[in-house]
Amino acid sequence: MAENFERQELNDRLSLIESMIAEGRRTTESWGWTFVLWGVAYYIAIAWATVGHSYWAWPVTMIAACVATVVVSAVKSRNRPRTKMRHAIGSIWAAAGISMFLLFMSLGISGRLDQHIMMAAVGAMLGTANAASSMILKWKMQFACALVWWALTVFACFGKGNALTIAFLAALFFCQIVFGIYAMICDARRRRMQGGIQGAANA
Amino acid sequence: MPELPELNPVIHGKLRLALLSLLVGVEEAEFTWLRTKTGSTDGNLGAQLQKLEEAGYVTVEKRFVQRKPQTLYRMTEAGRTALSEYVQALKELLGGAIGA
Repeated sequence: MAENFERQELNDRLSLIESMIAEGRRTTESWGWTFVLWGVAYYIAIAWATVGHSYWAWPVTMIAACVATVVVSAVKSRNRPRTKMRHAIGSIWAAAGISMFLLFMSLGISGRLDQHIMMAAVGAMLGTANAASSMILKWKMQFACALVWWALTVFACFGKGNALTIAFLAALFFCQIVFGIYAMICDARRRRMQGGIQGAANA
Repeated sequence: MPELPELNPVIHGKLRLALLSLLVGVEEAEFTWLRTKTGSTDGNLGAQLQKLEEAGYVTVEKRFVQRKPQTLYRMTEAGRTALSEYVQALKELLGGAIGA
C-alpha cells in the first residue's frame, strides 16, 4: 500500500516535470492571428489595386499590416517568457518580411514588377518561411502550407492570366486565413487544457 | 544490492520542481508568468524562488520597463544539472527498487 502510494507520488512528479516543460515551450504557437491579419491585408491590397488602380495600394496596406503586427505582438508578448524557439521563428519571419518588402518595393519603383515574378517570389519566400517554422515546431499542417506556396511558385512560372490569379487567391485563403484560424483554435484549445495543469504544482 | 539514489530535497517540493521545469524550457521568465503557469500565490512563489536562488539554481534580475518593475528569473547551469540528476534518480527509483 505504502509502496504503491510512493510509486504514484514519484509518477506524479515525472508527469509534473513533463507538463511544465511542455508548457514553457508552447509559447510560440499563438501566432495564428498574424496569418489571418496578413491574409486579409493581401486581399485588401489586391482589391484596392484592382478596383482603385492605385500605386499606393500595396505599400500602404503592407506597411499598415506591418505596424499592426508589431503593435499587437508587443502587447500580446508582454509577461511572456523569451524562448530560443520563439526567437528563431520570429527571426525567420522578420527576415522573410524584410526581403519581400525590399524586393517588391525595388521592382515596383524600377517598373520591372509583373504578376509572374511577384507570385513566384511570394510563393518561394512564404514557402521557405513556412517550411523552416514547421521543421522547428514539427508541425505537419504548416509544412503542408509550405508545399502549397512552393506549388504556386512553380505554377507562377508556367501559368497564365486568370488561372494564376485564382491560384494565388486560393493559396492565400488556405495558407493564411484557414491555417491562421486553425492555429488560433489549437491555441484556444491548449489554453483550456492549461486550466487542468495549473494548480498541479500546488496540489 | 545497488544503493537507491536520494532525491534532492531542494527540487523535490512540487512548486520548486514545477518552477525549474518551466524555466528549463525558456531563456528567462517573468515572475507574473511563473505565477500564472503554476497558479501559485505571490508569497509562496516568492519564497520558493528564493530557496532556488539560495541553492544557486536560478538567478534573478530586477529592472524597470516603462517605469514598471519587472523581475526576471533564469535557470543556472547548476540548476540544469540538478534537475537532470533529479529526473535520473526518479527514473531509477521507478525503474525497479520501489516495486521490487
